[in-house]
Amino acid sequence: MFMVRVALYLIPFLAVTLRRLVFAGMGREWPVGEIDPPRPRQNGPLEQVLCILDPVGLTLVAGELENRADAADPVERKYRAKRYLRRIVALTGATQIGGGYTLHVGTTRLQVRDGYVRRVQNVTNPKCGYEETCFYPAHKEMPKAEQIATALLQLKSNPALFDGWAARNGAFKADGQVFTRVQ
Amino acid sequence: MTAKILTFSSHGDTTLLEYDPATADMDEVNRVIAEYEVKTGAQPFDMTTGERIEKVTRRQNEVLMVHPIAGG
Repeated sequence: MFMVRVALYLIPFLAVTLRRLVFAGMGREWPVGEIDPPRPRQNGPLEQVLCILDPVGLTLVAGELENRADAADPVERKYRAKRYLRRIVALTGATQIGGGYTLHVGTTRLQVRDGYVRRVQNVTNPKCGYEETCFYPAHKEMPKAEQIATALLQLKSNPALFDGWAARNGAFKADGQVFTRVQ
Repeated sequence: MTAKILTFSSHGDTTLLEYDPATADMDEVNRVIAEYEVKTGAQPFDMTTGERIEKVTRRQNEVLMVHPIAGG
């Protein structure tokens, strides 16, 4: 009787162990049929309204998220923003120094950190001082990494944006024009 | 090959426009971009060079709309 009970307890354990051994051995060679088939893209009503395919092959897909990160997962959001920052850092030729990023545009050096930027006008002059100003995204809450990436991209293209930010005259587009929100 | 006009967000990239650069009506592409800029203040950047672009041409295949920043 005792042996029967032991055997009954061992059956699920042996089944799990056997299953692990079998699937570990298969590795990536799982039969295709066991993988969930790709599901069709599920457009919400907004995307359905905005999605237009015209004769010249232009698809307007405003509002459709790709590589969507779960908004409820702050770790994933942070990771995505950091990945974006790495791409922008490589694109602008910025270098990471400590917690900040240094960008050279002509003889000007810009040091971008979380929420503020420092400008050294003439890097060849060791006595040249620096100016500093804060910045923040005009539209929405952004992770820090995304804010830094946006500032780097814009400053690389238009370092004079620094003066607009320092003057606190509102939000600026990348070309330096003041942005006025459309009502 | 397709080209994309994107915005980045930590929630997920948003594709505003997807088109075949060989055949697309580029005036229409730029019209959509201009409308988006009026609404949001975002301007297009070529994600190959990192440069801001005045007008999207058939050469660009990944364009990121970059939103305004305020100072203070």
